[in-house]
Amino acid sequence: MDRFKQTFSSKKWLAIALATLALGIALSLVSTAFLTFSNIQSVLVQASVTAIMAVGMTFIILTGGIDISMGAILFFTSSLFAKIMVETGSYSMAFTAAIGCACLLGAVNGLLVVRFKIIPLITTLATYTMYRGMAIHLTGAQNIPVPREMGFLGNGKLMGIPVPILLLAIVFVLGLYLLNKTRFGLYVKAIGNSEQSARETNLPVNWVTILVYVIGGLTTGIAALILLARVGGLQSGIGIGIEFTVIAAVVLGGTKLSGGSGTIVGSVIGAVFLVLIDNGLNLLNASPYIYDIVKGVVLLAAVIIDKVSFERQAKHLLEQKALRIKSTSGVA
Amino acid sequence: MSKVLGSIVAIAMLASSTLSFAKDITIGLSVDQLFESRVGVTDAIKAEAAKQGYKLIEVVADGDAQTQNSQIQSLVTQEVDAILVCAVDQNTIERALIGAKRAGIPVVAYDRALPDSRAVDAFVGPDSISDGLAAGQHMVDQLKGLSGDIVVLELLGALNDQNGIDRSKGFNDALKQLPNVEIVAMPTDWDSARALAATQNAFQANPDIKAVFAATDTQIPSIETVLTDIDKMKSVGEEGHVVVTGVNGSNDGYEATRKGFADGIVVMDLALTGQTAVHLATALINGEKVEMTNVIPGSFYTSENIESNKATIWGAK
Repeated sequence: MDRFKQTFSSKKWLAIALATLALGIALSLVSTAFLTFSNIQSVLVQASVTAIMAVGMTFIILTGGIDISMGAILFFTSSLFAKIMVETGSYSMAFTAAIGCACLLGAVNGLLVVRFKIIPLITTLATYTMYRGMAIHLTGAQNIPVPREMGFLGNGKLMGIPVPILLLAIVFVLGLYLLNKTRFGLYVKAIGNSEQSARETNLPVNWVTILVYVIGGLTTGIAALILLARVGGLQSGIGIGIEFTVIAAVVLGGTKLSGGSGTIVGSVIGAVFLVLIDNGLNLLNASPYIYDIVKGVVLLAAVIIDKVSFERQAKHLLEQKALRIKSTSGVA
Repeated sequence: MSKVLGSIVAIAMLASSTLSFAKDITIGLSVDQLFESRVGVTDAIKAEAAKQGYKLIEVVADGDAQTQNSQIQSLVTQEVDAILVCAVDQNTIERALIGAKRAGIPVVAYDRALPDSRAVDAFVGPDSISDGLAAGQHMVDQLKGLSGDIVVLELLGALNDQNGIDRSKGFNDALKQLPNVEIVAMPTDWDSARALAATQNAFQANPDIKAVFAATDTQIPSIETVLTDIDKMKSVGEEGHVVVTGVNGSNDGYEATRKGFADGIVVMDLALTGQTAVHLATALINGEKVEMTNVIPGSFYTSENIESNKATIWGAK
């Protein structure tokens, strides 16, 4: 039993994985349409945009930061892509500019956080407004259609697998590698645990912080192109508000908002879980009015569980410490 | 003598300039947020105001009702002669609108009706019930011959937006003519990404959906994506075609209908809405009585006649 508990607390993503499995089983019992290959595929395609962004957001939240401007970066990046496509017709130029710009906007967030030491929530709230304004200015709030061939990114298949799922898989694997197999990943967690200790041990705190926001921008850029391809064109305000779904996915996945602890696997499953809720409500033909209520309740439950387990852990640690002090004083 | 004459001329010039200054009319334009169709109306308002020789102060609230409240207050402070407002949220801006009324500034609501407001003098906007009805009627005509249960997907606008609610009401009223129809309604909040997910889920749950109604035709490309995904992308007239209608008049809707993917769309008359808003303001400034509610129904175009009516479609490029 203790061993089970141990595995459970060391693999934070297990909780969301089990919840997702339970929800999946429940849905397959109530609707025969759920457990079909095409529905599972459709759930994954739908989750791809938020899941890819959630990988980036996980890095940011692990350092104790947050990026509220992700939706605005998505809006600006897709605006830039559509605008360049319309004016030049050059895919390569549009891709390079869009992805480059997404990274750049992320870097600006990171630089501001590092240089001015304003809390990331406020910094990115400001850049959110700025980036969104830039996008509206760039497009004059007009919708811009993109060429239908671009739909390949959204509808296309490679080796029978839908392209959005493939892109998610690539981002997922790279994210896993970066977080768990490199020194950079170690630094990210170290900064989240204690920025002060990280600085005292001479870790490149500033560089790592800037880089996590660049990763956030890059994943947003990739997600933007998928969404743009699937929606069929740029719509004014596309992506605005998506950051909250992304943050919800990361939190549901067991990553602590205070930083230091969390997993990429959890965040991706969290994104799938949120899509499953929508998918389930749709399959059940639920009233359109209850969607947001259900999602809100689920998120609240996740945060409360997280908080309770954190307090229990803290209590446990305190008890251990007290015991240790007692035993050492006994020796003395 | 010449000095006297000179000063008389100077006084006359001064008087005439103050006189013309007094005649200068400034209109305050409070916009909820910028998106394609809103910009369409706003541009029409600006053009008409310029034609009348009015000065225009435009403020945009970025979808934030509190911001709009303070923006309207600032328009009142600047003593504009009339306020044209498209509200983010009726209740939040009511205080500011009452402030305008107290200051004797007429208020014209456009596009989004404020039926419970005590400060609005007139409203001009789309006839959303009739727009929904027209899109629904065409769908009924296409589906009439089918036997068995017919499942129809309705992509709703925002659940708290009167135009979305009314389009849905009109659409549902029209579909009552079909005895064997089941309408699956999905919320989208006017968001194409949400419309995409909703359409995808709906087709997973009901692969046999025969028709889709989009409260805004900017979501039609998303429907196209899903139908392509599941190999159901057929043009009007082809076997297995899914009937698609919508309301708005954007380029997305125009192109989809022109290509024969969508069956038809209702096109709103944004130019007339904008012009009427300015005319109402003019009448109110001159103390004339105006009709409280002025609705402008859209025109329905099918894949057959849409191209020849391109010039009247605001979004067509």
